[in-house]
Amino acid sequence: MTALPVEPANLAGTGTDVGSAPPARPKGGAGDVRKGGWFPRIAVLVVVVLWVIPTLGVLVTSFRPEELADSTGWWTAFGHVFDGGQWTLQNYRDALDAGGFQNAFLNSLAVAVPATIIPITIAAFAAYAFSWMDFRGRYVMFVGVVGLMVVPLQMALIPILRLYTRGASIGGWTLFPDFDLSGSYLGVWLAHTAFGLPLAVYLLRNYIGSLPSEIIESARMDGADHFTIFWRLVVPLSVPALAAFAIFQFLWVWNDLLIAYIFLGGTRDTRVLTIALANLVGSRGENWHLLTSAAFISMALPLAVFFALQRYFVRGLTAGAVKG
Amino acid sequence: MRIRRFMAIPIAVVLLAGACGGDDDDDDAAGDDNAATESGGGEDTGSVNILSAVEPEEAEVVQGVLDSTVNDDADYTAEIEASGDFEEQFEIRAEGGTLDIALLPQPGQVAAAVDQGAVALEDMGFEVDQLTDQFGDYLMSLVEVDGKHYGMPTNVNLKSMVWYPKDDFDAAGYEVPDTWDDLLALSDQIVADGSTPWCVGYESEGATGWPATDWMEDIMLRTAGPDTYDQWVNHEIPFNDPAVLTATERFGEIMFGDGYVLGGADQTPSIAFGDAPGPMFEDPPNCWLHRQASFINAFFPAEAEAGVDYDWFPFPEIDQQATLIAGEFAVAFRDAPEVRDFLEQFAGEEVQCGMGGETGSSRLSPNLDVEADCYANEILADSSEIVSAALEDGTARFDASDQMPPEVGSGSFWTGMMTYMQEGPDSAEGVLGDIEASWPT
Amino acid sequence: MTAIDEPAAEPEQAPTAPGPAPAPAPRRGLPPALRAAGVVAVLAAAVALLWLTFGFLRDADANRFVLVGVAITVGAAGVFFLYWAMNWAVDALPERFREGVRPYVFVGPAMVILAVFLVYPVINTILISLGDAQGEGFVGLDNYRFVFTDSSMLRAIRNTAGWIIIVPLVGVSVGLAFAALTDRLRRGEAVAKSLIFLPMAISFVGAAVVWRLVYSFRPEGFGTNIGLLNGIKSGLGMSPTPWLQQDPWNNLLLMVIMIWMQTGFAMVVLSAAIKSVPDEIIEAARIDGASEFQVFRRIVVPSIAPTIAVVTTYMIINAMKVFDIVFVIGDPRTNKTEVIAERMIQWFFISNNDGRGGAIAVVLFLAIIPVMVWNVRRFREQEVVR
Repeated sequence: MTALPVEPANLAGTGTDVGSAPPARPKGGAGDVRKGGWFPRIAVLVVVVLWVIPTLGVLVTSFRPEELADSTGWWTAFGHVFDGGQWTLQNYRDALDAGGFQNAFLNSLAVAVPATIIPITIAAFAAYAFSWMDFRGRYVMFVGVVGLMVVPLQMALIPILRLYTRGASIGGWTLFPDFDLSGSYLGVWLAHTAFGLPLAVYLLRNYIGSLPSEIIESARMDGADHFTIFWRLVVPLSVPALAAFAIFQFLWVWNDLLIAYIFLGGTRDTRVLTIALANLVGSRGENWHLLTSAAFISMALPLAVFFALQRYFVRGLTAGAVKG
Repeated sequence: MRIRRFMAIPIAVVLLAGACGGDDDDDDAAGDDNAATESGGGEDTGSVNILSAVEPEEAEVVQGVLDSTVNDDADYTAEIEASGDFEEQFEIRAEGGTLDIALLPQPGQVAAAVDQGAVALEDMGFEVDQLTDQFGDYLMSLVEVDGKHYGMPTNVNLKSMVWYPKDDFDAAGYEVPDTWDDLLALSDQIVADGSTPWCVGYESEGATGWPATDWMEDIMLRTAGPDTYDQWVNHEIPFNDPAVLTATERFGEIMFGDGYVLGGADQTPSIAFGDAPGPMFEDPPNCWLHRQASFINAFFPAEAEAGVDYDWFPFPEIDQQATLIAGEFAVAFRDAPEVRDFLEQFAGEEVQCGMGGETGSSRLSPNLDVEADCYANEILADSSEIVSAALEDGTARFDASDQMPPEVGSGSFWTGMMTYMQEGPDSAEGVLGDIEASWPT
Repeated sequence: MTAIDEPAAEPEQAPTAPGPAPAPAPRRGLPPALRAAGVVAVLAAAVALLWLTFGFLRDADANRFVLVGVAITVGAAGVFFLYWAMNWAVDALPERFREGVRPYVFVGPAMVILAVFLVYPVINTILISLGDAQGEGFVGLDNYRFVFTDSSMLRAIRNTAGWIIIVPLVGVSVGLAFAALTDRLRRGEAVAKSLIFLPMAISFVGAAVVWRLVYSFRPEGFGTNIGLLNGIKSGLGMSPTPWLQQDPWNNLLLMVIMIWMQTGFAMVVLSAAIKSVPDEIIEAARIDGASEFQVFRRIVVPSIAPTIAVVTTYMIINAMKVFDIVFVIGDPRTNKTEVIAERMIQWFFISNNDGRGGAIAVVLFLAIIPVMVWNVRRFREQEVVR
């Protein structure tokens, strides 16, 4: 393919647009006046500490033996940091030994990856259309999408499950064929896609809609059709938003229990990690030692994913990614 | 680029065709989990899933027994699932059509299940007379709707138990009470000796209050008798009937007795029911009596030895003696040979005896053919004897709140009792009136 | 014609033949018979492949790794091909229909999925709400009357109103402030932001564990308090409090949990927006002598107003739907912490009253209308500016 008429690099200098323009900022060097100062540092530190303490409590408790975890506050462990009797890996061993985790982990992965990619793709196309294409019903449809964010998923589960197991028909007319999707991965992916779409479309539309109209316009004047503009221009520019949403969706799907349980199953073969962990822990939750280690096990992958991808959006767009 | 564009349409068509056609051959796949079929379909899918509200540890024990008995020589695989959000998941799956069997802990749920697609035992080929011999009239009567029976009894537990720290108890010279007055006298004695007699805790997240209903039921049975109890359950007398008020006031005699309850009655809604027996195992005990069903055994400290460190006595008689039980019924939602076969085996003597022998569960069998020596320890064996005897002679009564409509039995009865605890003895009439008002018409 | 137009030009060929088979070279010179045979072969092969794939995905004995790999590939690839195919089909249309139809191709899959998976249940719910406890029959507005007269429901409505106001307010404010402040850090920005975002990575089950450990309460005599708040109180010599059962802490402390979990989201989105504000404007303001705070208030905030609105909307909706937190931590009825969505689940699933559950859900749907209206207005304003 030949080069596009407008390189992303040309975006620098479109400062007249007051709406949030994407990559346009050269990062300052050593003389950057904005950095530094004690107030931001203190404030950030305070907030971070407040935020982290609850999780810290869980982390510490997960390494403490059962009797201690149940009878003394976790902060007391700091008084005996080097005392061997204070710490143990037994909780993690118990949690992992309970078995079936490898299977459950793989199942979770098989559910989460497509259930992230599919909604993002679909939402990106729709968001682009809502932003830059003119067609009848776009307001109504978009507002409908926003409104659908409020639908509590529990209300949707029974109707959807029925559709999966029996299909739907009115008076002999098949509205929805009986695909027998219950228990299949496809069924779970579609369900997750449906629940993730409203927010995805909403967020992505906001981002894509705020891209400078000049770029789109000049591409159109050069004769590019919408698909090309979308695929070759808008998508690369939207990587931060797409990455951000990908993480949200991945985390949400990975941590989900109900949808995977209802649509995929809870038996030893089909269950995902969240179910395996919930089963370990039970609902009479006062076994803090198990609860906490299970919680951390379930956090491991999402945290890894988050740290791996955070540079795409936590830092915003840095110089070097964009010329000029 | 050009190639891909031309390929797009055929591939799209093919994808759609595949989606439509591909799933059809799944019905033949062996080992197919949770394959959904409409109820009434008779094909063998190779698996039976059982949804239950039991704790995961117990489910594991049961699965172990199933694996070595049923799954060993059947051509299907039975798998039990322990569910945290049981009511929610049960309803979704029952309505959605992916449920084979559910183990329902409430007869009220069994009655409601009929509308959700439950299959009658008669329709599956079971002989009711045979079942009545196996389980007794009472249990079978609880699951009867419009002349047909919908639940197979698969578990019971004894509720009328008071636990105590045996070694300290005996050492202090206390005696096990036989009557209510003896019980109150014992409590006074313990208070006089400078300690607190009762440990009580009702907190249970969304189910907070349920142990209080057990107290009420035990007392109601012993003051008003089984017949009035049945009337109460069936709403043939109002909830604020004088008989119920009497029982409530008796309940208050202990709850609000001076210095009787550790922490006071108003704290009881915040104390987790699993935490409640804890102080009994301190040295010296911070409390001496704990009324709770047989499963609480699993919450005692691991080092505590049954019969040595702790023991139990039956809830004492007031105007008469009685036996309060609870349990579980297996309800089928899919009419198929393997489901039928599983039900028969699961409720049968072999599997039931096997489950009783496992130390990880405290399941008692409703099957009258199961002998006391099946059980892993004395406590279970003794309890089972009491339950079986009561089932045989018809004096056993099932937990009332489990039989009432859920708005009451899993709702206003629980919260009403908690209000009673927090507001004191004078609120009894008001609370009962509110519960009565909440009974669905 | 520029280079970009090339792909658009090719499909002119399409209406005459279903397209050359990809296996042989894509030249237009192939005899039609061979082309047709090629297409059939490809179709047959693809159908067979998919048949096997779906069957394979259902087979519980398959090697898990292979299963996962296939599931991921098929799932992800499937969608790409779908759009490609549809767009190709649009390109095949006569010129005058092409651009009119194309938008619908773009939004089509999203609309179809939403219609089936969300709109249909909404309609279903509305119908159920007019019925009795089994969701059948017609009882008029009885269930709605219940929603607005029952004391527990009224409390739920009041509590939910509290949630809707407090959680977005605090979450967005803290998120915005934090995003702005970390932007000014010389080092440690990524770490600080990651730590605030961390709670979003924690599953709800995990978060419940975390906060139960903070709020845990044991009355005196039942052991030491291992919860953080009561631990502090004990340390100061005070007696422990059953936090979750006391007004107003019960509701506020539950809200803290949601704020803790959701602020990371707000922060991340707002941070990206802040970083996109063009430097020139900021520099210009600084040169004019504005202080950092003034720059923030008068330049940055108005620039990112749309994003603030989006984040606020999302948080409001989430606060409206809150269920897990309230349901799992403590007992909503005894603690008087009921909220609308929790009541809905309670009535629908636990008390088995579909009619009431449905009515509560519908009230929830209606409550979002003001939010939607606000968003429409903003949407239109933005379009005008562009």
